[in-house]
Amino acid sequence: MSAYQLFTLILLFELGSTLVLPLASEAKQDAWLAILIAMAGGFCLFFMYYGLYHYYPDLPLTEYVQILLGSVLGKGLAFCYVLYFVYGAAAILRAFGEMLVTIAYPATPLFVINALFILVIVYMVYKGIEVIARTSEVLFVAMCLLLLSGFLLLIISGTIHLENVKPVLEEGLSPVIKTAFTGTLYFPFGQIIVFAMIFPYIKERKKVKRTGFLAIGMSGLILALVAAGNISVLGLDLASRAPFPFLASIQSIEVAGFLERLDIYFILFAMIGGFFKISIFFYAAVMGASHLFQVKHPSRLAYPMGIVVLLVSMAIASSYTEYIQEVRIMLLYVYMPFQVIIPVLLLIIAFFKNRKKVI
Amino acid sequence: MLSFFKQKKNRSNPQQPKEEIYAHKQKKNRSDPQQPKEEIYAQKSSVMIDFSLSKNLEDIKRITGNSPDIVIRKVKIGDQAKTDAAVLFVKGLVDSRAVDEFFIESIMKSNHLQEKRTPEDLMGLITDEVIPLGQAQSMRNQEEIVDSLMAGNTLILIDGIDEVLTAGTQGGEKRAIQEPTTHISIRGSKEGFTETNETNIAMVRRIIKSPDLWVESMTIGQVTKTDVSIMYLKGVAKEDIVQEVRTRLNRIDIDGILESGYVEQLIEDQTMTPFPTIDNTERPDMVAANLLEGRIAILINGTPFVLLVPALFVGFFQTIEDYSSRVDIANGLRFLRVLAFFISLVGPALYVAATTFHQEMIPTQLVFIIAAQREAVPFPAVVEALIMELTFEILREAGLRLPKAIGSTVSIVGALVIGQAAVQAGIVSPAMVIVVSVTAIASFATPAYGMAISARLIRFAFIISAATFGFFGLILAFFLMIVHLCGLRSFGVPYMSPFAPFSPSDFKETFFRRPLWAMNERPRMAVGKNVTRQGENQKPQPPLSREMIMTDQKEGDTHES
Repeated sequence: MSAYQLFTLILLFELGSTLVLPLASEAKQDAWLAILIAMAGGFCLFFMYYGLYHYYPDLPLTEYVQILLGSVLGKGLAFCYVLYFVYGAAAILRAFGEMLVTIAYPATPLFVINALFILVIVYMVYKGIEVIARTSEVLFVAMCLLLLSGFLLLIISGTIHLENVKPVLEEGLSPVIKTAFTGTLYFPFGQIIVFAMIFPYIKERKKVKRTGFLAIGMSGLILALVAAGNISVLGLDLASRAPFPFLASIQSIEVAGFLERLDIYFILFAMIGGFFKISIFFYAAVMGASHLFQVKHPSRLAYPMGIVVLLVSMAIASSYTEYIQEVRIMLLYVYMPFQVIIPVLLLIIAFFKNRKKVI
Repeated sequence: MLSFFKQKKNRSNPQQPKEEIYAHKQKKNRSDPQQPKEEIYAQKSSVMIDFSLSKNLEDIKRITGNSPDIVIRKVKIGDQAKTDAAVLFVKGLVDSRAVDEFFIESIMKSNHLQEKRTPEDLMGLITDEVIPLGQAQSMRNQEEIVDSLMAGNTLILIDGIDEVLTAGTQGGEKRAIQEPTTHISIRGSKEGFTETNETNIAMVRRIIKSPDLWVESMTIGQVTKTDVSIMYLKGVAKEDIVQEVRTRLNRIDIDGILESGYVEQLIEDQTMTPFPTIDNTERPDMVAANLLEGRIAILINGTPFVLLVPALFVGFFQTIEDYSSRVDIANGLRFLRVLAFFISLVGPALYVAATTFHQEMIPTQLVFIIAAQREAVPFPAVVEALIMELTFEILREAGLRLPKAIGSTVSIVGALVIGQAAVQAGIVSPAMVIVVSVTAIASFATPAYGMAISARLIRFAFIISAATFGFFGLILAFFLMIVHLCGLRSFGVPYMSPFAPFSPSDFKETFFRRPLWAMNERPRMAVGKNVTRQGENQKPQPPLSREMIMTDQKEGDTHES
């Protein structure tokens, strides 16, 4: 895997579900600022994960955890991480299923949509990281073209009203920072922890740091731009109430009385991003499980674990509102420890362990 | 299979670089497949030729089932014509003029042979002085001798010598060099390959007159014994890939090779795919162009279609004419071809998805028109699409193999069925006719037949997925296709390169091309050491800028007054 492939993977991963769902909506018209601040936090998190990778460049997260914490505790934690990855994949799968049911297929059962989606993902994960990376390169180009043309169409159709974003920092900096560090930092930036399972496959090791920063910075900028765009197109009121603000903005595009109702744009965005986000979580889960249980051919786990993810995605919540509520709780009590607290502790342990060796 | 193996290995121990695994795999292959073949030959070679001429002739008659096309011409040579000898050849396979003049006539008339000599001397004499032909050699192995006879060589047997002289007299009726029928030339050589390997090799050599153009020959097919040649530019082609081609060809153990498609199916990387991973062509100039890019040509006797490996996805959208025509026009045409391929894949599927699930996305006025047309149609859009697509494919298939006289009838009837009548009968809507015919025309715009036909098959899958889940199904099917494409390899080279894995140096040469003067390097995918294609500063320029006449120019510098 090359550094460029890592770049496209991180970017698609970051844009995955966040482009679709409302992001940092608590910060109101300063959502874009919250995203940028969270991005700065994301840099720190990435630096931390990179630090761990730096100590163990050949091992994925679930392996070096066992070195750092000992066999029993390490295996327990690795198993928890596998569960977290499965949950991550399932949660995003659920979000996409719900989104498709809401906007396009009200009569189709959620289970069928989720099952089809996970089937294609399993097929890709079965083929291995090389194929995932190559596919991401191809679809990255498609994503870029879509984004560019989307923005262009928004500008041409004249629906952008920049005064909607003003006033900047109406209620001071604190709500913005609070939003950034209670939500946006963990979703999506903290989720980069999944890449701790993928870093060992990268050939150009020296470029990992630069590529990661570049990809996170780029995705942060795009997300901030989209958030600002949404508010300026829809106005604060509509943007904070719409379940899928980006869809609403795209629907406002009207060019020459011919190019209108470009829902397909939104579906494409959502599917490309979601496809990779779920795939990467799922891949990490499969790899983690196969290391943990010493399965010789990880690809054999792809199909059974695909069924697990599918069932979890259905069992997570009984309705979309419940799901949203649950994700809020998960954000603080599951995402934060797994993405911030445990890695910090691991990094400290790794630091002391490796310092001893040198002396 | 190969790629799958590699990936699995990769996943289990990521630290091991890919090349190492590749080399390891090759090493294993290299020693393996050649052994059994040699063993077979070793067993066969037990029977040697006898001293007695009559017994030898009996043996050959017995082995060949006394076939009447094997001509045995007995002659007497030596002192007072005491020694019996025989000339053997297969009627029709040999150049009969050569056999008559150089063999029978020269043996009968030669003065040297009248002298008193031992049979051994006679043999040497015939080889050295009497027969003015190249490719003469003596053989003792009965099996080899019969094979040589069947390959169109002429044999000379002399009584009392357990050796046979064979001389190359291959000839007989051949098709002349004609214009290729499948790859029409718009600008460029009008020559097409023939069925004979020697002619084909010579045609390429006539274009590339370099000693670096290396040819390796082998015989594949236990029964047909087909000549297969590998051709590559030494130093330009990657040595790994050449070796891989050699290995895979040597591995083939089959009774007959009748066409290059047989070889193709036996050496491709992945068999479970509708996409061609090996290119073929009928044109020597296309082979030459590909050789210059480091690819390897596989020529098979008996077919004008030459295989080219490794083949990449983008290569199927390029034609040799792209490089002869102007840059901007060639680029425009390439984009057009990709667009046409895309339409031929998803055209009807998009229509079905939009009319069945996403009517809101169609502009209002258009949706009214379509709805009005579809009002009288008794079928859902997907049935309509499938009926029309199937009808079209049946027409195409029927027209393909018919004699030309009947073919035109089919197309007239077809046009009536597909177009006018179906609409008037109210079975399909006019919009559907437009969609299907645009798709049909688009599917013929792909230059490579193998790629176009795969698009036709996949189109049906797209229609069905679009009919069941609208754009969601369509996009999922598209993802599936891209994942599949990204997983393919052609002789170890990723099929989707230079897109995935992205290679900036090769990317300049894909759906668009740079001006010829800027193509300083060969594409890296298949090229070994020799990367440089041309010298620097190839851009043609007028001797002096005429855009703006400078004041310090001397008089007479410009031709404008």
